[in-house]
Parts: sequence; structure tokens; C-alpha cells
Amino acid sequence: MRLLFDRRSILRGMLRGTAVAVGIPILDRFLNGSGTVYADGTKLPVRFGTYFWGLGLTDTPSGGTRWVPSKTGFGYEIMPELEALRPVKDKVSVFSGFRAIGDGRPNLVHWSGHASILSGVAPAVTGRFDAPSFDTTIADAIGTSTRFKVIDIDASASRLPVSYSTRTGVTFAMPETTPLALYTRLFGVGFQDPNSDDWKPDPSIILRQSVLSAIRDQRQALMANVGKTDQIKLDQYFTSVREMENQLAIQLEKPEKREACVVPTPPKDTPRSAAVDSVRANTKALAKLLALGLACNQTRVFNFVHTAGISETYVPGESKIYHQITHDEPTDTKLGYQPETSRLAGLVMQAFGDFLVELDAVNEGNGTLLDNCLVMAFSDTGYAKIHSIENIPMFLAGKAGGRHKAGQHIHATGESVSRVSLTAQQLVGAPVGQFGTGSMGTARSIAEVMA
Amino acid sequence: MTKKARWMWGLVGALALAATSPAQTPKPAASQAVPVKVALRRITETQYRHAIADAFGSEIKINARFEPEQRVDRLLAIGSAQLSLTSSGFEQYFALASSVSDQVLSEKQRAVTVPCKPANPTHADDACARRFLTRYGERLFRRPLTESEISARLRTASAGAKQSKDFYAGLKLALTSLLAAPEFLFRVETAEPDPTNREQYRLDAYTKAARISFLLWDSAPDEELLTAARTGAIHTQNELERQLSRMISSPRLEDGVRAFFTDVLQLDGFENLTKDPTIYPKFNQAVADSAKEQTLKTIIDLLVRQKGDYRDLFTSNDTFINRPLASVYQVPFASSSEWAPYTFPQSSERSGILTEVAFLSLFAHPGSSSPTRRGIKMNEIFMCQVTPDPPADVDFSKVQGSDKPTVRARLLDHMTSPGCAGCHRRNDPLGLTLEHFDGLGQLRTMENGTMIDVSGEIDGVKIQGAQGLGQFLHDNPRVPRCLVRNVHSYGVGRKADRQDEEYLVGEAKAFASGGYRFPDLMMQIASSPHFFKVVTSSGAEHPPSTVAAATAPPKRSSNASTGVVP
Repeated sequence: MRLLFDRRSILRGMLRGTAVAVGIPILDRFLNGSGTVYADGTKLPVRFGTYFWGLGLTDTPSGGTRWVPSKTGFGYEIMPELEALRPVKDKVSVFSGFRAIGDGRPNLVHWSGHASILSGVAPAVTGRFDAPSFDTTIADAIGTSTRFKVIDIDASASRLPVSYSTRTGVTFAMPETTPLALYTRLFGVGFQDPNSDDWKPDPSIILRQSVLSAIRDQRQALMANVGKTDQIKLDQYFTSVREMENQLAIQLEKPEKREACVVPTPPKDTPRSAAVDSVRANTKALAKLLALGLACNQTRVFNFVHTAGISETYVPGESKIYHQITHDEPTDTKLGYQPETSRLAGLVMQAFGDFLVELDAVNEGNGTLLDNCLVMAFSDTGYAKIHSIENIPMFLAGKAGGRHKAGQHIHATGESVSRVSLTAQQLVGAPVGQFGTGSMGTARSIAEVMA
Repeated sequence: MTKKARWMWGLVGALALAATSPAQTPKPAASQAVPVKVALRRITETQYRHAIADAFGSEIKINARFEPEQRVDRLLAIGSAQLSLTSSGFEQYFALASSVSDQVLSEKQRAVTVPCKPANPTHADDACARRFLTRYGERLFRRPLTESEISARLRTASAGAKQSKDFYAGLKLALTSLLAAPEFLFRVETAEPDPTNREQYRLDAYTKAARISFLLWDSAPDEELLTAARTGAIHTQNELERQLSRMISSPRLEDGVRAFFTDVLQLDGFENLTKDPTIYPKFNQAVADSAKEQTLKTIIDLLVRQKGDYRDLFTSNDTFINRPLASVYQVPFASSSEWAPYTFPQSSERSGILTEVAFLSLFAHPGSSSPTRRGIKMNEIFMCQVTPDPPADVDFSKVQGSDKPTVRARLLDHMTSPGCAGCHRRNDPLGLTLEHFDGLGQLRTMENGTMIDVSGEIDGVKIQGAQGLGQFLHDNPRVPRCLVRNVHSYGVGRKADRQDEEYLVGEAKAFASGGYRFPDLMMQIASSPHFFKVVTSSGAEHPPSTVAAATAPPKRSSNASTGVVP
């Protein structure tokens, strides 16, 4: 199945309640757009990140919504499960009604939803994507001038580190999982304070570059007579080598001053725990460090996982984990929803609120770091009890340097989630006019939120 | 996405279709006969550690975070053949390579590790650097380095020595580049036209040596095995069996057996296991580490040291405990050693590895036991029967209203739901027999004030409790057959397909007739020609130069058939 819209209908504008935009002309405008600037006129960069949490939000078939505002456009009302967004509401747009479309592929539980959002195609099997996640496209576009092209973080304390960022669809990024690990990566060996006055290039970096060139020299011989699958793997390996070379090259240049950069002190390592409160505290601590890493220009792209859909997040003392509760708890017939599940969803969203507040706490130029960020937040399901991939909650937070007309509620029943993904890519200036395949293939970004 | 990336993804899709065609035997065209790379398998953390210790000594410290592995078709070994390396992963390996090089060439170590003295230690010395790189390059790449590979490193060593006025500083850089190279971090499996039959391929000698070595010792080939590869003697059955006997009788077999069972039993899950401390206050990282070690010690003792019957792993009461575990098992620990042999008494209700803390705590929830999870894992790990994901739109209407006191009663409600029943009927009865052990593996008899019933019936066999379950698995012919399948898949790095079935049936019979001795099974499999068959994932008929191009796209649980070149 393929949705067909001619150019005329697209340009006419309104479709199912949402305006559409054509990729390329808007893209041109973005590239020339002006963002917030420092007092000395230096243009501040726009940063991009994904934020994932598992198990959706509550919007039941019996009408008991706990997160979808009734009002669309600016000034949407704060619903119970969105309470934590109140302090930054005007910087957050809410997207409801969007769905993942399988084109005949099964709904792979706790996988199809976010795989569709990130890769633009419903995956064939759990654990794999059928296309790269779009954050890699953005990282290629805006992440090449910083020490790290992208930083991946997982706060969930899951059995295995969780990341949904992938270039091959098979190998996923290795995230930092503790504040100490993140601190060490961002501010440990190799960090150069952009505001330091006594910067000198480190001559050992040139020697380390020669190590990599010896590896790169053998690329051609290694790639000879290799199957396509292994070629893809080697391509990723050599991409990683290139990124390391780029990282070293950047360290040989004097960093630009960053007024907002404050180098933090090393955090203490905390015991691992998947308790809801512990994961929230871990999220907050990691967000604080990430915010400083962004302010110090160590990276411009990040992927943050709060909890995985099938994570073991629990409330201390309760024998059932959150995941089990979403499935087992009866729907209260009077309320029209599962009260305990909704309470837990609210707790999970508090962590997202904390995360955004940390970004908003860093003053940068005439505004805050959050004003110069675009954070796309989403979950794996809509209504978790039935593993629904309809109405998956999605948010765009931050003003993207003024490009995002934030603070709106966009409702588009049955539209593909890939439209929000495309919008995010275009808002941060990635050269993308089309995203997704099959019924999720779209060139229609969401014009209402684009300045 | 770049144009090239789009093209590659398109090609992946096309190959996915091609890969579903029945397997055929490739016929190499003699005129195009060149070696082809048939697999790229990322080395695991333990393989990395063993390979470094073997090459440079066990005193080299390895302190790094390794890129996560991925379990595919039940095994990390199969996942390792599908993974690449991300930029953050490479960053770690690059830093680790530098740290290892610093230690190997420290002032103290260089007298041992460098086989020559530079003419002038403040200058480059290509001859000495070449000797060092040739020697260690072969150990690390598991084959001799090509002239081009050596030259590239000599340039690095020379430039480094000149800049830092230190021969050893230059050599460190050259060694770092070997340690961060894909030829070290991935096992590159190569096939060559068979000189005895130009119509066929065979794995080359170094690939064969590495397969044996990683299977038996979880490490790269040692000097003697490399020599057998260098001379080509490994291609003869006599030399192959001589090498296998040597390696199986070595204490280092324990490393290989540990790595195998860590993978098969999914003991890697202990790295990040969490429990709710308000419910299980005794759980901590020391208990987690000890639980894993206990099960491995039990396995090594029975299978390797005693050369016992594999099936007794499910019924033997003999194990080992340490102080943290004694607290969980609620028994005294009087030994002055860290670990002590221990025999579970009959009253403990324990018998075999399924009743040790490792299995019981790993396959449970943070705050409760989980008969379903335990049952799923028993079927998956010991009987090679995988449970599919639950249906997305499963009807929980029965379950959600259940207020029954025991998990058995709640699960019986589950089993009345048509969407759930199929899988729960297969898994829950197995898991319910272990319900006298809570989510940490502590003995209990009551749940919410009600006696826990641990009886069950599986395949028409009545089972009573954990000891009955152990006997059921001991007597179940699927269990040893599954082990045979696992050893094969683990060694070759791919899931068995229908062309392997006849071979696996034969191996299972031989395993049974030999009394289910695990080292014998490793010998049997590693000495069989089938273990070295060249397999591409499409099986299309191609000349050697194009066989590799027809490998399958990445699919986590693809049913695509594979082609075998006999």
C-alpha cells in the first residue's frame, strides 16, 4: 500500500488536520535560517537528540485518555500524564494519533513501534531494523565538527545496555550507562576546555593518527572478495575509524570559546538499580552531564534511552514489574483506564520532565540550551496493554534555534509516525526530503511546527 | 542517507529474496580461483582476553568496556558473526590497544617481548621492528602478515621513533595498529579452492586452526597449531586429530568449556542482573558473580575433570559453594578456602544445575519468580525449542481479573485464554516444578499463605518438584541432541540448517554411544569434515570470486536456507 498525494494537494496544505510541507524548499530555508547568537555574534549550533521511554502512555479504547489534549494548536492543556512537562510546556510540541504501519508485517511486540519511527519501515524481525536509524543521518549532517559525532546514553539499568541507534540495522550503538562513565567519556582523557587560555596542541595526537592510517591502508585488501553482508560490517568498522580520525583532528584545533561551558566535577558511581526512582535519578544525573557536554561543544547529537519497553523497571516492594502491570492490571470500568499503570506512566514522564529541565537550566546566548536543541521523544507503544502501535506518543522538545514553533498539539489520526521523524530531520537541517518506505514513506513534514 | 548507503540497503533487500532459494553447491571456475572470505566473526571479550594473555603473558591488564554482544538464534557465537563495531566501540578498542601496547613494551617487559635489540634505541630500526611485528602479527591475526601489512606498520613505527626519538615508542604505535585492526578484532574466515578437487572449496589452514582453537580454548591458535597450519599438515586427518587430542588433554580446555556454557546458558546475563533489595535483601553483585561461578564450577568438575555423563548435570547433588552463596542456600560455610565442595542434601529439594541460584535467579523477575520465564529458558537452552514472541493483541481479560494466591493458579487462568495457551502449556508446567524456589533461588514452600504445589505433567510424564524435573531432563533424549546442535553452531558461528540435520543425528548417536562425554563430543565434532564445510548463506552457483558476494542479508531469525559446499 502506498499513500498517493500529488504535489498540488500537498501544496494546498491541509490534510487530515495537519498542514504539510515539501522537503527541499523548506530545507533550503532552514540552512539559511538564523538561530540564537552569542553576544559576540557567533552563531550557536543546533543540537539534536532522541529520547526514548518504554510502555507508551495511557489512551485506552474505552476513551480513557490520560495524555492526549483535547485542544490542538498552541495552548494545549496539560493532561495528567504530561504534568511533568508543565515547566517547559511552551517549548514542547505534542504529537498524537500517529501510527506505525506494518504493510502486512506483524506487530513485533515492543519493537515495531520505535523501529518504525527511527528507520521509517516496520522491521521484519525483532532485534533488527531494516534501515538505518535516522539519527545517524542527522549526525552525518550536523555532528562532524565536534569531538564526538554522537553520544549514546542508557539510563535504564537493563540486563543489556539499550540503544536503538544503528547504521547497519544489526549493530546498535554502545551507550554510556552511568554518570561516571558519561563523565569520563565527555570530560576525561582527551577533553580540552574550550574556555582555557593556555591551549596547546598535543603532539601525541599526530602519532595516534598514524596508527589509524596504518589500519586504513589495508582497507582495500581486506574488502577484496568479501560478501555483501561482511562488506556492510567492514564499512561500519571503517566509518568508526574515520570518526576516530575526525575526533583526533578536532583535538588538534584550538576549540572555540563556549560561554555556557562549565566543566563538572566527577560524579560518584551509584549502585545499579532498575527501581523507578533510581532510573529517574540516573536520568537526571546523566541529563545534567549531557547538557554540559553539549554546552562545551563535545557533541551535537545524542540518543538517550530512559527505559526499554521490556525493561525490568519496578516499584520497590512490588513483585510485578511495570511491564507486567501494564498487561495484567484490569481497566477500571468507571475511570476507563488502568490506574496503577497510569500512575507509573506519570512517574516515567517525570524523568522526561527532569531531562528537559536540565537542558533548559543551561543559559546559552539569549536563551537556554533547550532553545537550541531539538529533542524527539517517543515510545514503543501507544496503549501498552495491547501492544498497540496506533497513537504512539511523540514529542518535539526545544526550539531548534528558533526553527521549531514549539508549544503545540498536533493531532493526526492514522498518519504515519515517519512524518514526525521527517519533520525532526528537517528542523535541524539534515538534507532529507523524503523518509521511510512503503506506507510509511513520506515527503510530508508537518508545516505547523516549522518556522 | 548517502547514495551508496541507499544502494547497499537495496542490495540487502534483493539478497534477502535470493537467500530464500534452495541451497546449491557452488562450482568454482578454475580460471577464477582465488581465496574468498566467507565469514567475519567479531571476537568476544573472553577471546580477546585469552588471545592477549597467550601472546604477551597473563600479567597484561585489560581494563575496558567491551561492545555488547548480541544473542542470535540462542547463541552469542552466532550473533558475533553478524555484528560490526560502532564508533564508541572502536574508541574503546583503540584506547585498549594503546594500553596493551604500553604494557607489552614497558621498560620492564620489552626485554622479554622484543626478540631483538635496536641498533640505537633512539632511532628507528626497521629490521628489529620487522622481527617483532612478524612474530606477534601472526599470533594476533592468526595468520602470517602480508608484506603490505608489515610495511604499513613499519612506516608507523619509523615515523613514531623519529618524532619521539625512541624506538620503543614507535613500536608501541605499530603494535597498537595491529591490536585495533579488523584482522585482529574479527575472525576473518577464508576459503580457498581445494587443490585435490578444483571444483570445490575448503577452509584454508589458518581458518581451520582458528576454528579449533576458539572452540576448544576460547583463544587464538598457539605456536604448535599455527605450525600445523603453516605447513598445511592440519589438512590431514591424522594431524588434525593429533592437534585436537593435544588440546583436549590440556588444562586450557576448561577455558573453552567455560566460554561455551557461559554462552549456551546465557550466563552473560549476570553482568547487569538487578533484584529488588526490599524483596531480596541478600542479593548483591557478589552473589551474582558467585552464582555464575558455581554453575561453571559444577559443569567443569563433572564434564571435564571427572569426564562424567552430561545428563548427570540435571541430577547430581555435587556442587561448590562459597560464603555469599552459603547465605542464600542457608547452610553453614566453614571452609578457609574461597570455594568448597558441597553436596545438596535430599531435604534441600535441589538436584542439578537447574536448582542452583544461577538458573533460578537469572530467569526470574526483580521481585518474583517466573515459572513462565524458567520454562521458556529450559525449552530454549536445553531442548533447543524457542518460544515465539507473544501475539501483540493478546487478550488479557481472564488474567487481569485473577486474584488467585499462587502463581500456579494465576497461570492456569492464563492457560484458558486461547491466545496464550499454546506457549504457556509448553513452558509453564516445567517452570512450575521449580516454584519452591523464589526469584533469588531461596527455598520456600508457601506463597501468600498457601502451600505451593510443584507437581506437573509434561509429555504425559508426571513430575514432582525440582528433583523430578531434573530426572525428566536427564532422561529426555532431546536434551543431549540439543547439546550436539549447540556445539556445532557455536563452533561454526551459524544456525544449523536442513543440510546439517543428517550429520547432527549421527553426531548425537555417537555422543550417546560414547556415554555422553562432553570432551569426546568436542573431539567428534571438531574432527569431522562437516565442521569445516564452506558455507555461504545463499548457496547460489558462483565461481570462487563471486561466492562471497552472495551471502545473506542480516536477519536475526531468518529462515533463509544456506548453501553448503561439501
